[in-house]
Amino acid sequence: MPKSPAIPRRAFLEGVGLIGGGALASPAPAAPAKVIDVHDHLKHHSNPAWREGDRKLIDAADKLGIDQLCCSILAPEHPAAPESFRQCNLWTAAAMQRFPGRILGYCYVNPGYTREALQEIRRCVEDRGFMGIKLYNDYQASEPVLWPVVELAIQLRVPILQHAGHPSWLPHPQPRISDGSHLSALARRYPEAMLICAHICGGGDWEWEIKALRSAPTVYLDTSGSVLDEGVVEMAVRILGSDRLLFACDTSLTASVGRIRGADISESDRAKILGGNMQKILSRRGTR
Amino acid sequence: MIDLNAYLGHFAFRQLRYNTADGLLRLMDRKRIERAAVSSAAAITYRNPQAGNEEVAAEVKAHRDRLIPFAVLNPAYAGWRDDLKICQEEFGVRGLRLYPRWHNYRLTDCPCLDLVHAAAERGLPVSIPIRVEDRRQQSWLVDIPDVNLEEIATLIKAAPRASFVLVSGSGFVNSSLGRPNSGLPANYAVEISLLTAELENEIGQLVNTLGEDRVVFGTGMPFHYPDPALTKLEILDVSESVKEKIRSANAARLLKL
Repeated sequence: MPKSPAIPRRAFLEGVGLIGGGALASPAPAAPAKVIDVHDHLKHHSNPAWREGDRKLIDAADKLGIDQLCCSILAPEHPAAPESFRQCNLWTAAAMQRFPGRILGYCYVNPGYTREALQEIRRCVEDRGFMGIKLYNDYQASEPVLWPVVELAIQLRVPILQHAGHPSWLPHPQPRISDGSHLSALARRYPEAMLICAHICGGGDWEWEIKALRSAPTVYLDTSGSVLDEGVVEMAVRILGSDRLLFACDTSLTASVGRIRGADISESDRAKILGGNMQKILSRRGTR
Repeated sequence: MIDLNAYLGHFAFRQLRYNTADGLLRLMDRKRIERAAVSSAAAITYRNPQAGNEEVAAEVKAHRDRLIPFAVLNPAYAGWRDDLKICQEEFGVRGLRLYPRWHNYRLTDCPCLDLVHAAAERGLPVSIPIRVEDRRQQSWLVDIPDVNLEEIATLIKAAPRASFVLVSGSGFVNSSLGRPNSGLPANYAVEISLLTAELENEIGQLVNTLGEDRVVFGTGMPFHYPDPALTKLEILDVSESVKEKIRSANAARLLKL
C-alpha cells in the first residue's frame, strides 16, 4: 500500500487549483483529473539498490500527489543492443506488476535494429499492456530509420516519447540527440503520430525548443527536468498552447511539480497539463 | 520565511520577470516569503560589478524592511576595497556574492582571500552561487562551469573566521563540504533550491551531516520559480522545528537580523 502522502491529494489539487478552495482556484475549476507523470524512469537492475530506488520513486509520487508514472528503463550502454532493451522492458513489465495502476510502461527500443525493435514493441504493447514507446539518442528523430517504428506506433495508437534537448554549443556529448526541429520534421511526415518531445527543462535552450515546435502542432512537449527557470511553462502555453503540454518529472519530482504549481497560467490549462491531455492520449488505445 | 538566494535587475542572456523590487515583492507576497537577500543579476556580466550594486541599492531603498541587499564584488577588479566600503557603509549591504567562474578568478587566489578576510572583519557573510545557469543552456558566447566544490572547501578552510552561504548548488554530499568529519570549520551553510528532498534526499542528508542549523531556504527567484524550493520544504521529512530553522531562523542568525 502507498504510504500516506505528505501533501494529501486533495491539498495538492487545491494547491494547483484543480479543485476549489485553493489560493489559485479559478471561478469555475476544471473537473479533477488524474495527475500523470508522462516521463519517468525506473532503476536498471545492474544497480544493486534498484528495488529501493523504485520504491522511493513511488513514495515520492505519493507525497506529491502524482497518480500515475509512465516509466521506462534505459540500457546503460548506447547504442543499446536488442538483448539489452528486451531485458530493460522485462524489468519494466515486472514493475507494472509490482505497482499495478501506478506504473505505466514505455517500451524502450533502439530503432536501428528494425526487426527486433518492431517485434519488441508488439510484444510489449499487445501482450504486456505497455502504453507507449521510448526512444533515446541512438538516432535523431528525423532519420528514416525511425519510420518503421512510427508506422507501428500509429497502427497501435501509442505515443512515442523522444529524448531531446537543444544545446547552444557544440560538440554535444550526445551527438545524435534530437531537438524540436528533428521532431518537427518527423511530425510533418507523420502528422497522425503522437510524438512527445522530452524534458523541456532537461538542460538545453528551452526558448529555442519551444520556438522550433511552434509549427509542429501534432508534437507534444513534456515539462520535466531539473532546470527551475521561471517562465518556461508560461512561454510554452503562449506559443504552443496548453493542449500540447504534458506534465512530467524525469526523476526531478519536486522541481517538476513546483514548476507547474508556480506557473502563472489558468486553472483549466493547468488541469490539461497535469493529466487531462495525457488521459486523452492514453484513451486512444484504451490504456488506464 | 527568508529567501537567501534572490536577484534584481537584468541578466545578459535571458529575460527575467519579477526582476524589479515591486515585481519581486509581488511574487514574494504570492508565495508568502517575507524577506529576501537580493543581489544584482546584471553584475554577473558587468565588467564593473559596482554599477550593478548601485542599481540594486536604488531599487531596494524604499523596501529595506523586506529586501536585504547583497553586493557582487570581483576581487580581480580595480577598486573592490572602495566598493566594499561604499556597499556596506552607504548601501547597507548585509552580505557579498562572488562569481569566480564568471569573473575569471579562483577562490584560492590571494585577492579573493583578501576580500573574504575583509568581509569577515566587517561581519558580512559571503554567498557563492555554484551556478547561474545549467551549462547545457548557456549562450554560445560563454562556457562557464559550475564552481568546484573542493575549491570552495579550500577557501572555507583558509578563512575559518569568515561566514559562507553556498547557493544554487548540488552534489554537496559527494564532496568534503557535505561529508561528516571532513575537518572543515562549521562556518558555512547550504541553500536548498537545487537540492533534492526526495529520492536521494540531499537536503535530509545535509541536515544530518552538517546539522539543522546549517541548511537554509532559498529559491533563486526570479531566475527560478520559487515553488520548487517551497515544495521541497513541504515534503522534507524533518520535524517542524527543523523546518522552521531552515525557513527563517538560520538565515536570521546568519544575517544578524
